[in-house]
Amino acid sequence: MSMVYVNIFLAFIVSLMGLLMYRSHLMSSLLCLEGMMLSLFIMMTMAVLNNHFTLASMTPIILLVFAACEAALGLSLLVMVSNTYGTDYVQNLNLLQC
Amino acid sequence: MNLLTSSMLTAMFILLLPIITSNTQLYKSNLYPHYVKTTISYAFTISMIPVMMFISSGQEMTISNWCWLSIQTLKLSLSFKLDYFSIIFIPVALFVTWSIMEFSMWYMHTDPYINQFFKYLLMFLITMMILVTANNLFQLFIGWEGVGIMSFLLIGWWYGRADANTAALQAILYNRIGDVGFIMAMAWFLTNLNAWNLQQIFITQHESLNMPLLGLLLAATGKSAQFGLHPWLPSAMEGPTPVSALLHSSTMVVAGVFLLIRFHPLMEQNKAMQTLTLCLGAITTLFTAICALTQNDIKKIVAFSTSSQLGLMIVTIGINQPYLAFLHICTHAFFKAMLFMCSGSIIHSLNDEQDIRKMGGLYKPMPFTTTSLIIGSLALTGMPFLTGFYSKDLIIETANTSYTNAWALLVTLIATSLTAAYSTRIMFFALLGQPRFNSLSPINENNPHLINSIKRLLIGSIFAGYLISHNIPPTTIPQMTMPCHLKLTALAMTIMGFILALELNLVAKNLKFKYPSNLFKFSNLLGYFPIVIHRLPSMMSLTMSQKSASMLLDMIWLENVLPKSISHFQMKMSTAVSNQKGLVKLYFLSFMITLTLSLLLLSFHE
Repeated sequence: MSMVYVNIFLAFIVSLMGLLMYRSHLMSSLLCLEGMMLSLFIMMTMAVLNNHFTLASMTPIILLVFAACEAALGLSLLVMVSNTYGTDYVQNLNLLQC
Repeated sequence: MNLLTSSMLTAMFILLLPIITSNTQLYKSNLYPHYVKTTISYAFTISMIPVMMFISSGQEMTISNWCWLSIQTLKLSLSFKLDYFSIIFIPVALFVTWSIMEFSMWYMHTDPYINQFFKYLLMFLITMMILVTANNLFQLFIGWEGVGIMSFLLIGWWYGRADANTAALQAILYNRIGDVGFIMAMAWFLTNLNAWNLQQIFITQHESLNMPLLGLLLAATGKSAQFGLHPWLPSAMEGPTPVSALLHSSTMVVAGVFLLIRFHPLMEQNKAMQTLTLCLGAITTLFTAICALTQNDIKKIVAFSTSSQLGLMIVTIGINQPYLAFLHICTHAFFKAMLFMCSGSIIHSLNDEQDIRKMGGLYKPMPFTTTSLIIGSLALTGMPFLTGFYSKDLIIETANTSYTNAWALLVTLIATSLTAAYSTRIMFFALLGQPRFNSLSPINENNPHLINSIKRLLIGSIFAGYLISHNIPPTTIPQMTMPCHLKLTALAMTIMGFILALELNLVAKNLKFKYPSNLFKFSNLLGYFPIVIHRLPSMMSLTMSQKSASMLLDMIWLENVLPKSISHFQMKMSTAVSNQKGLVKLYFLSFMITLTLSLLLLSFHE
């Protein structure tokens, strides 16, 4: 495949690593989630434009809508955690530990 | 004929005069006790007239004055029944009260409220008269409650003392339980026979009279301190000695027995009730005689002696001899009141010492009291030809020769010998031996009030039995012929009791005191009855109500069953089935490792 796709794919992999391996703040995983969404958007737009796949031209927009919803959800969860504990440290999420 | 009516009503009215004049200046002076005493002596003298008329011609009378109220078909009027029982009882009660009033002029001399004391005693006497002369149950109940109230006021005379207050409350509560039986009998008579006056009750035929007779028996148990409702009588010794002498030996406690005697035509036919009465009386007389053996307070021993004699009276009713029971009531009043007055004399002389272990050697310093105590005890145990003999010996003889319950008979005989035993104990500890009291006690019995009152009752204790039993109209015929050993049973048991008690006291005088045995503890603590019954039912009912109201309703139904149990259950279940531990970073890490591993494996696969 061409170098562009590899580049964008690598951006996605880096964001995925950032999502799965965060240290303490929940916000950093949400930011990486946004990074993943961004790279997916770029990849999809590139694929549609390069292949003249006109019928799928609206899929990036739909992806963006769903990304926005998901970001809102993630932020609301963050706000809930922050309301209870004051910070968003991930070690606070230990209620189910026995 | 008119003389009986007018003299009896005059005697009753004379008793009311000191109460009526209690608002005047006379009540505040220090002549009031003397006034009350002479009032009672006049009332006694006037009430001897109906007795003479009754003895000579057997005239009885029912006075029905004033229609009080009519409730639909029930007509209540103020009616006095002057029959055999009331005509003979009234002079006896007035004589004993006269002596007690004179005694309390000496005993309560330093009390600042002595006028009120005399007023209370007089009010008690009036309500007792109402009880005795009542022809219908309503008037009897008025007298019944009246004696209960005056008993409460008089037992709690020294109300600063906590024990006196609890004793007065105890008396009221136990009497109240008996009153339930009385009210049940009244209700039964009202609904089934439509009458509260005795004549109609005795005439009307009814097939089963068990229910009202049970009620009356319960009332007698409460008022006359039979077993089961007996603890109030020894506790009532917290009151002053004149109160104990009047109420709790001669007059009030015989009200229950008097009630049963009044209803003897109903009890004659009912064999079941007679058996119940007999067994109740037998248990009472034995139990209280056992308890009297190891008490150390002289008034308590005499109180238990009263209780035992009351049980004997109930036994007499149980063998269908109401007239003998009544004779025992009259004779018992004399010597029991005298015993109380002698103990009052001893107590005051030893500076308010009531424990017989700290008396002794009063034989020489107090000769008159010693004499009357010994004669009273002998009369109590039924020494031949003193007062008690004429009633008590007849009772034992009749019980021996009647077709009765052998166990009750045996128990009564044992109680007779125990009577002699504890009487010996009183005499031995209080009078004989070396003195055990403080040496500076003001032993003095020189007061004429004391001497005259005890002297009157002394003469009564010796002669009254003979006089009464030889002058009354014939009633149920006593058993005249019986084998020699049965005739001598009572005397033999008494003599055996005396000898045993004297020997034991003399032998044990110089022995070392061992730890009390179980039997001693049973007897000394009144059979554990007050300890258990005063605490256990109240604690159980209070904890039951607390558990049902607070625990059951509040905490279980409203709190625990649905709300808390659901949340608790959910939490338990979720921790049980979930294996998530909230270790988010580890989960993400494992996700990533799986991804890379799978990528590596799949990409380098051929």
